[in-house]
Amino acid sequence: MSEHNSSDVLQDYFSDLLGRHPAQNTLRGDKEPKPSGLTPEPEAKPKPRAETMPVADAELLAAKRAQLQKLLHSARVQVDQVAEDKVSVPVPSTERAAELRPTPEPQVEVPQAEVQVLEDAVALNVLDEQLEWLENGRPRWAQETFEVLLFKVSGLTLAVPLISLGQIQPLTDELTPLFGQADWFMGLQPTPSGKVRTVNTARFVMPERYDPAFEETAKYVISINGVPWGLAVDTVEQPISLNPEDVKWRSSRTQRPWLAGTVKAHMCALLDIPMVGKLLTDADRNKGRGHGGLTG
Amino acid sequence: MASNANQNHNADDPVLQWVTFRLDGETYGINVMQVQEVLRYSEIAPVPGAPAYVLGIINLRGNVVTVIDTRHRFALPSGDLTDNTRIVIIEADNHVIGILVDSVAEVVYLRQSEIEMAPNVGNEESAKFIQGVCHKNNELLILIELNKLLTDREWAELEDI
Repeated sequence: MSEHNSSDVLQDYFSDLLGRHPAQNTLRGDKEPKPSGLTPEPEAKPKPRAETMPVADAELLAAKRAQLQKLLHSARVQVDQVAEDKVSVPVPSTERAAELRPTPEPQVEVPQAEVQVLEDAVALNVLDEQLEWLENGRPRWAQETFEVLLFKVSGLTLAVPLISLGQIQPLTDELTPLFGQADWFMGLQPTPSGKVRTVNTARFVMPERYDPAFEETAKYVISINGVPWGLAVDTVEQPISLNPEDVKWRSSRTQRPWLAGTVKAHMCALLDIPMVGKLLTDADRNKGRGHGGLTG
Repeated sequence: MASNANQNHNADDPVLQWVTFRLDGETYGINVMQVQEVLRYSEIAPVPGAPAYVLGIINLRGNVVTVIDTRHRFALPSGDLTDNTRIVIIEADNHVIGILVDSVAEVVYLRQSEIEMAPNVGNEESAKFIQGVCHKNNELLILIELNKLLTDREWAELEDI
């Protein structure tokens, strides 16, 4: 996609998300009044947060960035390994993955199916907790300041809460499509943690503006914590801290249940990743028949 | 004690053999017990009025065998015939048919426990043909449930050809 087109798509998309009709900035001539509260501000130079931020917050942010860099580095190392010679080297795992990985225990013969069912149940419980939206109109995971990771999909910036992220893995030639699936299903990407069921995020999030070039430009898959699904993305950007007040939370989530809200300051859509995980899990007609994929 | 445990493990986790073939760049596997033989491509006689998934019929040592267009069945784009194109004669649901594939690769041994359930999202009926997936030799094998390749009605249709 050209830069110009990407920009247009992004602008149109956010106009839709923010409830402002795109024609108001174009020659298409829609006469719908512009909601005053959502008027986009002139593009301001980003404030250097560090200047106004307390030292402790700055350190916390720096630590989070370092963690993300490490996460990204692990993905890049794997890309290099694939490019070199597919040598079987233990892949550096992320801290989050390490936390989720069960501690090795003395070897006991337990049927694989039972282990899988148990892991699935635990994963789904974690997911259920994150699904809850409280009376203040915010999800449970956004009651206080929270970290999000920004990434790009077909020129559109999306944000996902770090708490819901699994791992970032490179998309490789091993991504295997399966016939007979929904068009937003890209295929299975083998990773050290299992087979990630990879979603064509561009088609999933904005099917009406889908650009097939995304299949060529997508570089990474971000796995969702607790489910064997992941989102294909073009690029991964920096993590940022968000206050709940920074987000325009959606009051009605019947139409796009995966969309938690929009962040005007960063012109991005905030995904309700636990809900995305639930939607994907529910869409699988083989759900509950046991799978050996990753669970975290 | 350990020996008993191993025996139970083997009984619970049998090793199965799968014939693998290539189709549209991916590798598929079918249960070796259902494969009767593999033929080089030979002229397939089209049958007027046959369903779209039927390529035609071949004469196999005096027996007429219907050949299925596997790419069509799996909703894959059509491909060219090459020197590697093969007709795999299989037995499924008490019927003998041929399936046209891009090439036949090898026989692999898989433990039952290595086979993972594949997702089934979307509304396409063809997804039910996938029995599972398995990572083997640095590639993902898609294992096909041949008995589900055709419905009872479709088998009946083939009988009328």
